[in-house]
Amino acid sequence: MSAISVKNLSVDYGNQTVLNRLSFDVEKGKLTAIIGPNGSGKTTLFKAILGLIPHQGQVRIFQKPVREVLRRIGYVPQSFDFDRTLPITVREFLSFGALRHWHPSGELCKEVHVDVLMDRLIGELSGGQLQRVLIAQALLKKPDLLLLDEPSSGIDIEGAKAFYDLIKHVNHEHGLTVVLISHEINMVYSLADQIICLNRDLICNGPPRQALTKDVMEQLYGSEVSLRGHEHL
Amino acid sequence: MMDILLLPFMQRALIAGLLLGVLLALLGIFVVLRRMAFFSDGIAHASLSGVALGLLVNANPLLTALGVSALLAMLMAWLERRTKIASDAVVGLIFTAGMAAGVILISFKTGYQPDLMSFLFGNILAIRPDELWLMGVIALAVVFFLIHEYKRLALFVLNPEIALLAGIPVVAYQTLLYVIVAVAVVLGIKMLGIVLVSALLIVPVSTAKLFAKSFRSLMAWSVVISLISVLSGLVLSVYLNLPTGAVIVLCGFAIFCLTFAGKRLASTKKA
Repeated sequence: MSAISVKNLSVDYGNQTVLNRLSFDVEKGKLTAIIGPNGSGKTTLFKAILGLIPHQGQVRIFQKPVREVLRRIGYVPQSFDFDRTLPITVREFLSFGALRHWHPSGELCKEVHVDVLMDRLIGELSGGQLQRVLIAQALLKKPDLLLLDEPSSGIDIEGAKAFYDLIKHVNHEHGLTVVLISHEINMVYSLADQIICLNRDLICNGPPRQALTKDVMEQLYGSEVSLRGHEHL
Repeated sequence: MMDILLLPFMQRALIAGLLLGVLLALLGIFVVLRRMAFFSDGIAHASLSGVALGLLVNANPLLTALGVSALLAMLMAWLERRTKIASDAVVGLIFTAGMAAGVILISFKTGYQPDLMSFLFGNILAIRPDELWLMGVIALAVVFFLIHEYKRLALFVLNPEIALLAGIPVVAYQTLLYVIVAVAVVLGIKMLGIVLVSALLIVPVSTAKLFAKSFRSLMAWSVVISLISVLSGLVLSVYLNLPTGAVIVLCGFAIFCLTFAGKRLASTKKA
């Protein structure tokens, strides 16, 4: 069963086509990575899927229009800009969008390792800690689909590894469908069940070993980028 | 001191000051969080057209200013959503157009206009009983809304996309926030005047930010600082026979300076 079904999706900004007639499906319970060079339309694709920007074509999530299933989607945006001097604790931030009966020391907060951050101010967190808080925020509503827009940007290598372990954990243990945008090709190669390559058009779509061929990599990034075989984390 | 409080105009000023102090301080948190300081300043100036319209048609200028400002706020929210004009440019457009319309409308009215002067520079001591009732009803309704909805409002202001996915109607919240700020600003104009009204939105929260350790404490301390500014400003202005609005603003600024200096001193000692 498809968690996301996209048919002939196009997005134009003025005269410029940002996404050109994309069609693909994301299977329920799988971990899908969207890759592509800067400006290839990855974030635009997320925004179109969520109905945040005007687009042509059809998007169905769990076979329904997006508006009807917004509460079943958790979302971690690419950038989370805010006045870092504002005193908002992690506990307060999580309570802003949480269901009524959430608990800061609940299982989920422990799993995402934010239970120890509850009394810290969100403006004082490191990049990795803030990402964990954003993931917790997205998971607290118990979604069926989790969308992550470049979740490990601004985190060091060790932090990124821990982060992807966490994503793998929520995907496997909770049966959550995860779609993430990433620049770390080697990381997602070993992690994802499905890879969608984007560069305005759909360049590839399928399991990593089939989808990420040498030709596709050259088409996306030029001849200088290559995959490090099947290296695992 | 107590003798002054027996005077009806002083009692009205005190009640109005307390109501507006709480309202503007709470709302100021969201204004600062969403970086809307220019919006509040712009709507204050644009409300001149509403004041002028009221004077021209012999209606209550407070009511016409409330109506016109609310409409302009809705227009700004719509322009921000539906066009590619930058939000500060939208405010700039409405700010100057509203002000210009106000100046033209005033030019049709001859003679000295005491109401106009109280709107330009504020005169809390001249608040009439009917205005106080109107102020009280609106201020209590908005304060109740803010206390009840502060979590959802905060999330919307922090990140509208996350808020949308949390089931918050972001378009309605954006329009509502703009209208509420516009209405609160117009009410505040009676106390501080068009030129100074933004101060009570910005100064208390900026002071509280210096030491608050959570969002809830920020809300509480912003209100406390705002009330101290209003009360001390009101009493001082009566004793010193100075313009009330300006003294309230300077009291708020003095509290900010003292808090800032105290914090710097404490951090120097720690180091």
